Amino acid sequence: MIEKRLERMGVMTDRGKATAYGIFSLSLLLILWICATSLFQWIEPRVLPSPTRVIGQFAWILTEPFSGLRLPGHILSSLERWGWGVLTAGLIGIPVGVFFAWNPWFRTFVNPVFELIHFIPPFAYIPLAVLWFGASTATQAMVVFVAAFPSIVINSQLGVAQVEKIYIDAARVLGASQLRTLWRVILPAAAPSIYTGLRIAISNGWMALVGAELVVGKVGLGFMIAQGQENASVATIFVGIITIGCLGVLIDTLVQRTERFVLPWRKVAS
Amino acid sequence: MDQSRTLQVAAGLGAVLAWIVIWAWLTRPGGPVPTLYFPAPDDVWAKFVRMWQRPYIGSTLPNHILASLYIVLTGWGLAALVGIPLGIAMAWWKRLKWIVFPTFQLIRPVPPLAWIPLTILWLGIGDSARISVVFIAALVPWLMNSMLAVYSIDRLLLDAAKTLGANDRQILTRVVCRTALPTLVAAARMALGSAWSTLVAAEILAATAGLGYVAVNASQLLDTDVLLVAMFMIGILGIGMTGLIGLTQNWLAPWSVLGARRD
Repeated sequence: MIEKRLERMGVMTDRGKATAYGIFSLSLLLILWICATSLFQWIEPRVLPSPTRVIGQFAWILTEPFSGLRLPGHILSSLERWGWGVLTAGLIGIPVGVFFAWNPWFRTFVNPVFELIHFIPPFAYIPLAVLWFGASTATQAMVVFVAAFPSIVINSQLGVAQVEKIYIDAARVLGASQLRTLWRVILPAAAPSIYTGLRIAISNGWMALVGAELVVGKVGLGFMIAQGQENASVATIFVGIITIGCLGVLIDTLVQRTERFVLPWRKVAS
Repeated sequence: MDQSRTLQVAAGLGAVLAWIVIWAWLTRPGGPVPTLYFPAPDDVWAKFVRMWQRPYIGSTLPNHILASLYIVLTGWGLAALVGIPLGIAMAWWKRLKWIVFPTFQLIRPVPPLAWIPLTILWLGIGDSARISVVFIAALVPWLMNSMLAVYSIDRLLLDAAKTLGANDRQILTRVVCRTALPTLVAAARMALGSAWSTLVAAEILAATAGLGYVAVNASQLLDTDVLLVAMFMIGILGIGMTGLIGLTQNWLAPWSVLGARRD
């Protein structure tokens, strides 16, 4: 009733209603959490800590070192490994993908190895990476690499394969060399697809990193969660999970926003 | 067309053979790659045959495979039981979506793996911890794609059904659920992929059987050949299950396969 009237008055649009419902359901969840822990203690704090306890733990890790580092330190070391993995995957993956589309024989030859990397889940590489590199940054970077590499190759290849043939012919007619055609025509035309691949790679890599850090390492957000498990501190795990989730969203938003600056010629899809 | 396809397959097989030869050459006795880091192909094959017959850390290879499959299929199936109806309902009733979706959005960016320590603390290292992590990993693709399946239905079909006098319930069961089927098959595939890769990690962290457990033990015991057997099995089973789902599409929704892009 009220909803209908508000709608007629133009106060409540569909979007506004969605927000209202969302705020309502989320606050209900929060109230339920507070009731279950702080107010009535339906659940033991050992099993589910109260929101204040989680916030307290967050503040504590922010100021006091936990397993050697404060929270920003863990975040930075996670970001560093992830950065190395994604960077290598991009540096190798983009040329490989472009070459896949450029030369079918190269593709046929390299494909078996590529499919092997593609079809074995990145986490299955963790034991191998540990065996090869021990508990070093390279281990995690390798797992991130394996997770990020396939989507970069596939999307680069797709991007190059989808370039309109007429552009390439036009460039050639105008006397451009192969290399120049590749650099000035094919790559800019394929760039949006390559960028999409990088975006998928970036989030896949982030997921894989958490897994790698859970298994091996002495710093990082995944390690922090694993330590929380060992100390039976659910609050620490919560802090870790929330930080990982927030960083994931932040990274994805940043990548989405930068697209407009990096690829100004791409038509922005609504 | 057919001839070029045969040529392609032949070239592919040739490439695989070439890589095996390169692999054997690199890992030959006294070769550039020490077998501790990467074992020779014949060693891996011998180990595979041996593991098939004799137990390695508690079970034979088939039993490890069954242990992994049991967890992944249970978690994936439970996620389907929750995800499909909830996804379709959320797409059908706006209000339900408005209520449930924000919570879901809150959980979605967290990698499924990050829940493992929490489930271990809450449920111990038994099957239920792994099943629930696989469940979380599979739920997101199931639910998102079920919603997408409903949204992508041609409005014309809905209008046609309405014109022909179908009521809301009939439209939901006869039109929506059926036209959504191909997308649901895609959802099944994505959910299984996500579930399978998460399971591997879960088994590395806490398990007493399964392929991930074999892999992590082999790594600690420096049994590189066993590790490679486990990795190959993980890959092959992943491909096999994805292929099976693809076949199901032919059988469940044959109309969607005709003219569909194959790759």
